Amino acid sequence: MTAVPPIDGNGLQRLSVEAGLAAEEARLEAICQGESQFELLAWQPLDRALVMPRRHERNEGFPEARQVLRKLGWPILFRATGGTPVPQCASVVNVALALRCRVGSSAAHLEWGYHRLGEPWCEWLASLGVEGADLGEAPGAYCDGRFNVRIGGRKLVGTAQRWRRVRGCRDMAMLVHGAMQVSGDPAELVGVVNAFQEAIDDPQRFLAASHVALTQALPGVDIGTALPDLLWRLANAP
Amino acid sequence: MTNDIRVPDDLWEGDTVGVITAWLVSDGAEVAQGDLVAEVMVEKAQYEIEAPLSGKLTIAKEEDEVVEKGSVIATLES
Repeated sequence: MTAVPPIDGNGLQRLSVEAGLAAEEARLEAICQGESQFELLAWQPLDRALVMPRRHERNEGFPEARQVLRKLGWPILFRATGGTPVPQCASVVNVALALRCRVGSSAAHLEWGYHRLGEPWCEWLASLGVEGADLGEAPGAYCDGRFNVRIGGRKLVGTAQRWRRVRGCRDMAMLVHGAMQVSGDPAELVGVVNAFQEAIDDPQRFLAASHVALTQALPGVDIGTALPDLLWRLANAP
Repeated sequence: MTNDIRVPDDLWEGDTVGVITAWLVSDGAEVAQGDLVAEVMVEKAQYEIEAPLSGKLTIAKEEDEVVEKGSVIATLES
Protein backbone atom coordinates (compact mmCIF):
# COMPACT_ATOMS: atom_id res chain seq x y z
CA MET A 1 0.00 0.00 0.00
CA THR A 2 1.30 3.44 -0.84
CA ALA A 3 -0.65 6.59 -1.52
CA VAL A 4 -3.55 7.47 0.71
CA PRO A 5 -6.45 8.69 -1.43
CA PRO A 6 -7.87 12.17 -0.96
CA ILE A 7 -11.27 12.26 0.69
CA ASP A 8 -13.50 15.09 -0.52
CA GLY A 9 -16.23 16.44 1.75
CA ASN A 10 -17.60 13.58 3.79
CA GLY A 11 -16.35 11.13 1.14
CA LEU A 12 -19.78 9.68 0.45
CA GLN A 13 -20.93 9.37 -3.14
CA ARG A 14 -24.62 8.98 -3.89
CA LEU A 15 -25.04 6.63 -6.82
CA SER A 16 -27.59 4.29 -8.31
CA VAL A 17 -26.96 0.73 -7.18
CA GLU A 18 -25.85 -0.18 -10.68
CA ALA A 19 -23.41 2.74 -10.80
CA GLY A 20 -22.11 1.95 -7.31
CA LEU A 21 -21.34 -1.64 -8.23
CA ALA A 22 -19.68 -0.45 -11.43
CA ALA A 23 -17.60 2.07 -9.50
CA GLU A 24 -16.36 -0.68 -7.17
CA GLU A 25 -15.39 -2.81 -10.16
CA ALA A 26 -13.58 0.17 -11.67
CA ARG A 27 -11.54 0.57 -8.48
CA LEU A 28 -10.53 -3.08 -8.62
CA GLU A 29 -9.74 -2.79 -12.32
CA ALA A 30 -7.41 0.15 -11.57
CA ILE A 31 -5.47 -2.12 -9.23
CA CYS A 32 -5.47 -4.94 -11.79
CA GLN A 33 -4.11 -2.65 -14.48
CA GLY A 34 -1.31 -1.48 -12.22
CA GLU A 35 -2.66 2.09 -12.25
CA SER A 36 -3.11 2.21 -8.50
CA GLN A 37 -2.15 0.33 -5.35
CA PHE A 38 -4.93 1.58 -3.12
CA GLU A 39 -8.52 2.62 -3.74
CA LEU A 40 -11.27 3.54 -1.31
CA LEU A 41 -14.88 4.21 -2.22
CA ALA A 42 -17.90 5.03 -0.06
CA TRP A 43 -21.30 5.19 -1.66
CA GLN A 44 -24.95 5.28 -0.74
CA PRO A 45 -27.67 4.06 -3.11
CA LEU A 46 -30.04 6.54 -4.71
CA ASP A 47 -32.41 3.73 -5.65
CA ARG A 48 -32.86 0.16 -4.52
CA ALA A 49 -32.13 -3.35 -5.70
CA LEU A 50 -31.58 -6.85 -4.38
CA VAL A 51 -27.96 -7.63 -5.22
CA MET A 52 -26.47 -11.10 -5.49
CA PRO A 53 -23.69 -13.05 -7.22
CA ARG A 54 -24.55 -14.10 -10.75
CA ARG A 55 -24.52 -17.79 -9.91
CA HIS A 56 -27.99 -17.35 -8.39
CA GLU A 57 -29.23 -16.89 -11.94
CA ARG A 58 -28.78 -20.65 -12.42
CA ASN A 59 -31.36 -21.48 -9.75
CA GLU A 60 -34.53 -23.04 -11.02
CA GLY A 61 -37.30 -20.48 -10.83
CA PHE A 62 -34.96 -17.51 -10.94
CA PRO A 63 -36.72 -15.71 -13.83
CA GLU A 64 -40.04 -15.93 -12.01
CA ALA A 65 -38.47 -14.80 -8.73
CA ARG A 66 -36.90 -11.86 -10.53
CA GLN A 67 -40.32 -10.81 -11.77
CA VAL A 68 -41.80 -11.11 -8.29
CA LEU A 69 -39.07 -8.93 -6.79
CA ARG A 70 -39.39 -6.39 -9.59
CA LYS A 71 -43.12 -6.08 -8.87
CA LEU A 72 -42.25 -5.50 -5.23
CA GLY A 73 -39.97 -2.67 -6.32
CA TRP A 74 -36.71 -4.54 -5.80
CA PRO A 75 -35.06 -5.26 -9.16
CA ILE A 76 -32.31 -7.86 -9.00
CA LEU A 77 -28.75 -6.88 -9.90
CA PHE A 78 -25.56 -8.93 -9.86
CA ARG A 79 -22.33 -8.17 -8.04
CA ALA A 80 -18.79 -9.41 -8.45
CA THR A 81 -18.16 -10.33 -4.84
CA GLY A 82 -19.27 -13.53 -3.15
CA GLY A 83 -22.11 -14.28 -0.77
CA THR A 84 -25.86 -14.39 -1.14
CA PRO A 85 -28.66 -11.82 -1.76
CA VAL A 86 -28.36 -8.44 -0.02
CA PRO A 87 -30.79 -5.51 -0.32
CA GLN A 88 -29.29 -2.19 -1.33
CA CYS A 89 -31.22 1.04 -0.71
CA ALA A 90 -30.80 4.53 0.69
CA SER A 91 -30.50 3.25 4.26
CA VAL A 92 -27.28 1.40 3.39
CA VAL A 93 -23.77 2.83 3.18
CA ASN A 94 -21.20 0.83 1.24
CA VAL A 95 -17.45 1.05 1.67
CA ALA A 96 -15.11 -0.72 -0.74
CA LEU A 97 -11.38 -1.04 -0.29
CA ALA A 98 -9.16 -2.25 -3.13
CA LEU A 99 -5.52 -3.14 -2.56
CA ARG A 100 -2.61 -4.73 -4.35
CA CYS A 101 -1.27 -7.80 -2.50
CA ARG A 102 1.94 -9.68 -3.04
CA VAL A 103 1.44 -13.43 -3.39
CA GLY A 104 3.17 -15.35 -0.66
CA SER A 105 2.88 -12.51 1.84
CA SER A 106 0.61 -12.65 4.83
CA ALA A 107 -1.61 -10.19 3.01
CA ALA A 108 -2.59 -12.73 0.38
CA HIS A 109 -5.22 -14.39 2.51
CA LEU A 110 -8.95 -13.96 2.62
CA GLU A 111 -8.84 -13.64 6.40
CA TRP A 112 -6.34 -10.80 6.16
CA GLY A 113 -8.63 -8.95 3.79
CA TYR A 114 -11.58 -9.19 6.14
CA HIS A 115 -9.53 -8.03 9.11
CA ARG A 116 -8.09 -5.18 7.02
CA LEU A 117 -11.63 -3.85 6.53
CA GLY A 118 -13.31 -5.01 9.70
CA GLU A 119 -10.87 -4.04 12.44
CA PRO A 120 -10.75 -0.31 11.61
CA TRP A 121 -14.53 -0.47 11.33
CA CYS A 122 -14.80 -1.89 14.88
CA GLU A 123 -12.36 0.74 16.15
CA TRP A 124 -14.45 3.46 14.51
CA LEU A 125 -17.58 2.14 16.23
CA ALA A 126 -15.76 2.12 19.56
CA SER A 127 -14.70 5.73 18.98
CA LEU A 128 -18.38 6.60 18.53
CA GLY A 129 -19.18 4.97 21.86
CA VAL A 130 -20.38 1.56 20.69
CA GLU A 131 -19.33 -1.20 23.06
CA GLY A 132 -18.75 -4.78 21.98
CA ALA A 133 -18.30 -4.36 18.24
CA ASP A 134 -16.45 -7.33 16.78
CA LEU A 135 -16.13 -9.59 13.75
CA GLY A 136 -18.02 -12.84 13.55
CA GLU A 137 -21.01 -14.81 12.43
CA ALA A 138 -24.57 -13.71 13.00
CA PRO A 139 -26.70 -16.84 12.82
CA GLY A 140 -30.06 -16.09 11.22
CA ALA A 141 -28.75 -13.11 9.27
CA TYR A 142 -28.99 -12.97 5.49
CA CYS A 143 -25.67 -13.29 3.64
CA ASP A 144 -24.02 -14.42 6.85
CA GLY A 145 -20.30 -15.07 7.04
CA ARG A 146 -17.48 -15.34 9.56
CA PHE A 147 -16.46 -11.71 9.21
CA ASN A 148 -19.52 -9.54 9.68
CA VAL A 149 -19.00 -6.43 11.75
CA ARG A 150 -21.33 -7.11 14.66
CA ILE A 151 -22.74 -5.17 17.55
CA GLY A 152 -23.79 -7.43 20.39
CA GLY A 153 -23.66 -10.41 18.08
CA ARG A 154 -26.02 -8.79 15.55
CA LYS A 155 -24.92 -8.05 12.01
CA LEU A 156 -24.26 -4.40 11.27
CA VAL A 157 -21.94 -4.72 8.26
CA GLY A 158 -21.93 -7.52 5.74
CA THR A 159 -18.55 -8.13 4.10
CA ALA A 160 -17.44 -9.86 0.91
CA GLN A 161 -14.44 -9.95 -1.40
CA ARG A 162 -13.24 -10.39 -4.94
CA TRP A 163 -9.68 -11.31 -5.91
CA ARG A 164 -8.16 -10.89 -9.36
CA ARG A 165 -4.69 -11.13 -10.81
CA VAL A 166 -2.72 -7.92 -11.39
CA ARG A 167 -1.93 -7.68 -15.08
CA GLY A 168 1.46 -9.00 -16.08
CA CYS A 169 2.69 -10.19 -12.69
CA ARG A 170 1.98 -12.57 -9.83
CA ASP A 171 0.51 -9.95 -7.49
CA MET A 172 -3.18 -10.08 -6.66
CA ALA A 173 -5.77 -7.33 -6.51
CA MET A 174 -8.24 -7.58 -3.64
CA LEU A 175 -11.56 -5.81 -3.34
CA VAL A 176 -13.15 -6.07 0.08
CA HIS A 177 -16.58 -4.56 0.51
CA GLY A 178 -18.72 -3.70 3.52
CA ALA A 179 -22.44 -2.86 3.44
CA MET A 180 -23.75 -1.22 6.59
CA GLN A 181 -27.41 -0.57 7.33
CA VAL A 182 -27.30 2.92 8.77
CA SER A 183 -30.96 3.68 9.33
CA GLY A 184 -34.41 2.15 9.13
CA ASP A 185 -35.69 -1.10 10.50
CA PRO A 186 -33.66 -4.21 9.60
CA ALA A 187 -36.94 -6.12 9.46
CA GLU A 188 -37.81 -4.36 6.20
CA LEU A 189 -34.64 -5.49 4.47
CA VAL A 190 -34.87 -8.98 5.94
CA GLY A 191 -38.40 -9.09 4.53
CA VAL A 192 -37.07 -8.36 1.04
CA VAL A 193 -34.58 -11.22 1.21
CA ASN A 194 -37.22 -13.54 2.60
CA ALA A 195 -39.54 -12.56 -0.26
CA PHE A 196 -36.82 -13.70 -2.66
CA GLN A 197 -36.37 -16.92 -0.69
CA GLU A 198 -40.07 -17.62 -0.97
CA ALA A 199 -40.17 -16.74 -4.66
CA ILE A 200 -37.23 -19.04 -5.42
CA ASP A 201 -38.81 -21.79 -3.29
CA ASP A 202 -35.91 -21.91 -0.85
CA PRO A 203 -37.18 -22.81 2.63
CA GLN A 204 -34.47 -20.85 4.49
CA ARG A 205 -35.75 -17.69 6.16
CA PHE A 206 -33.77 -14.96 7.89
CA LEU A 207 -34.35 -13.16 11.16
CA ALA A 208 -34.59 -9.44 11.77
CA ALA A 209 -33.27 -10.02 15.28
CA SER A 210 -29.92 -11.07 13.78
CA HIS A 211 -29.42 -7.62 12.26
CA VAL A 212 -28.94 -4.16 13.68
CA ALA A 213 -28.92 -0.72 12.06
CA LEU A 214 -26.36 1.87 13.11
CA THR A 215 -29.03 4.26 14.38
CA GLN A 216 -30.39 1.54 16.67
CA ALA A 217 -27.01 1.38 18.37
CA LEU A 218 -26.32 5.11 18.06
CA PRO A 219 -29.58 7.06 17.96
CA GLY A 220 -29.09 10.41 16.29
CA VAL A 221 -25.75 9.57 14.69
CA ASP A 222 -25.05 11.66 11.59
CA ILE A 223 -23.33 9.36 9.12
CA GLY A 224 -22.21 12.32 7.02
CA THR A 225 -20.28 13.67 10.00
CA ALA A 226 -19.02 10.32 11.24
CA LEU A 227 -18.02 8.73 7.94
CA PRO A 228 -14.80 10.67 7.23
CA ASP A 229 -13.20 9.19 10.35
CA LEU A 230 -14.07 5.66 9.20
CA LEU A 231 -12.54 6.36 5.82
CA TRP A 232 -9.46 7.86 7.42
CA ARG A 233 -9.04 4.76 9.60
CA LEU A 234 -9.44 2.47 6.60
CA ALA A 235 -6.95 4.48 4.58
CA ASN A 236 -4.36 4.58 7.33
CA ALA A 237 -4.63 1.12 8.89
CA PRO A 238 -1.38 -0.87 8.85
CA MET B 1 1.98 -33.83 -20.93
CA THR B 2 -0.81 -33.29 -18.42
CA ASN B 3 -0.83 -30.57 -15.77
CA ASP B 4 -3.35 -29.88 -13.03
CA ILE B 5 -5.23 -26.67 -12.34
CA ARG B 6 -5.73 -26.47 -8.60
CA VAL B 7 -7.44 -24.26 -6.07
CA PRO B 8 -4.60 -22.38 -4.34
CA ASP B 9 -3.72 -24.00 -1.03
CA ASP B 10 -2.52 -20.79 0.61
CA LEU B 11 -5.52 -18.60 -0.10
CA TRP B 12 -7.26 -19.07 3.21
CA GLU B 13 -6.62 -20.57 6.61
CA GLY B 14 -8.49 -23.49 8.13
CA ASP B 15 -10.45 -26.21 6.41
CA THR B 16 -13.37 -24.21 5.04
CA VAL B 17 -14.48 -25.51 1.67
CA GLY B 18 -15.26 -23.47 -1.41
CA VAL B 19 -17.44 -23.94 -4.46
CA ILE B 20 -16.87 -23.56 -8.18
CA THR B 21 -19.14 -20.67 -9.08
CA ALA B 22 -18.36 -20.40 -12.79
CA TRP B 23 -16.35 -21.90 -15.58
CA LEU B 24 -15.26 -19.16 -17.93
CA VAL B 25 -14.23 -21.63 -20.65
CA SER B 26 -15.85 -24.78 -21.99
CA ASP B 27 -14.73 -28.32 -21.36
CA GLY B 28 -12.22 -29.21 -24.06
CA ALA B 29 -11.32 -25.60 -24.87
CA GLU B 30 -7.81 -24.62 -25.86
CA VAL B 31 -6.55 -22.03 -23.38
CA ALA B 32 -3.42 -19.92 -23.19
CA GLN B 33 -1.22 -19.48 -20.14
CA GLY B 34 -2.73 -16.81 -17.93
CA ASP B 35 -6.26 -17.07 -19.31
CA LEU B 36 -8.97 -16.84 -16.67
CA VAL B 37 -10.69 -20.19 -16.62
CA ALA B 38 -12.82 -20.41 -13.48
CA GLU B 39 -14.11 -18.65 -10.40
CA VAL B 40 -14.17 -20.16 -6.93
CA MET B 41 -16.07 -18.77 -3.97
CA VAL B 42 -14.97 -19.36 -0.40
CA GLU B 43 -15.80 -17.32 2.69
CA LYS B 44 -17.90 -14.95 0.54
CA ALA B 45 -14.84 -14.20 -1.58
CA GLN B 46 -14.79 -14.65 -5.35
CA TYR B 47 -11.38 -15.76 -6.57
CA GLU B 48 -10.31 -16.10 -10.19
CA ILE B 49 -8.36 -19.14 -11.31
CA GLU B 50 -6.12 -18.83 -14.32
CA ALA B 51 -4.46 -21.38 -16.56
CA PRO B 52 -0.88 -21.97 -15.40
CA LEU B 53 0.08 -23.20 -18.88
CA SER B 54 -1.36 -23.36 -22.37
CA GLY B 55 -3.24 -26.46 -23.47
CA LYS B 56 -6.52 -28.27 -23.87
CA LEU B 57 -8.58 -27.99 -20.69
CA THR B 58 -10.61 -30.83 -19.23
CA ILE B 59 -12.96 -29.88 -16.41
CA ALA B 60 -12.74 -32.10 -13.33
CA LYS B 61 -15.10 -30.18 -11.03
CA GLU B 62 -18.38 -28.84 -12.34
CA GLU B 63 -20.09 -25.58 -11.40
CA ASP B 64 -21.57 -25.67 -7.89
CA GLU B 65 -19.26 -28.54 -6.86
CA VAL B 66 -17.55 -28.20 -3.50
CA VAL B 67 -13.75 -27.85 -3.55
CA GLU B 68 -11.07 -27.90 -0.90
CA LYS B 69 -7.74 -26.10 -0.79
CA GLY B 70 -5.44 -27.71 -3.33
CA SER B 71 -8.28 -29.50 -5.13
CA VAL B 72 -7.69 -30.32 -8.79
CA ILE B 73 -10.49 -28.62 -10.69
CA ALA B 74 -9.23 -29.27 -14.23
CA THR B 75 -6.34 -30.70 -16.19
CA LEU B 76 -4.43 -29.21 -19.08
CA GLU B 77 -3.05 -31.34 -21.92
CA SER B 78 -0.21 -29.61 -23.69
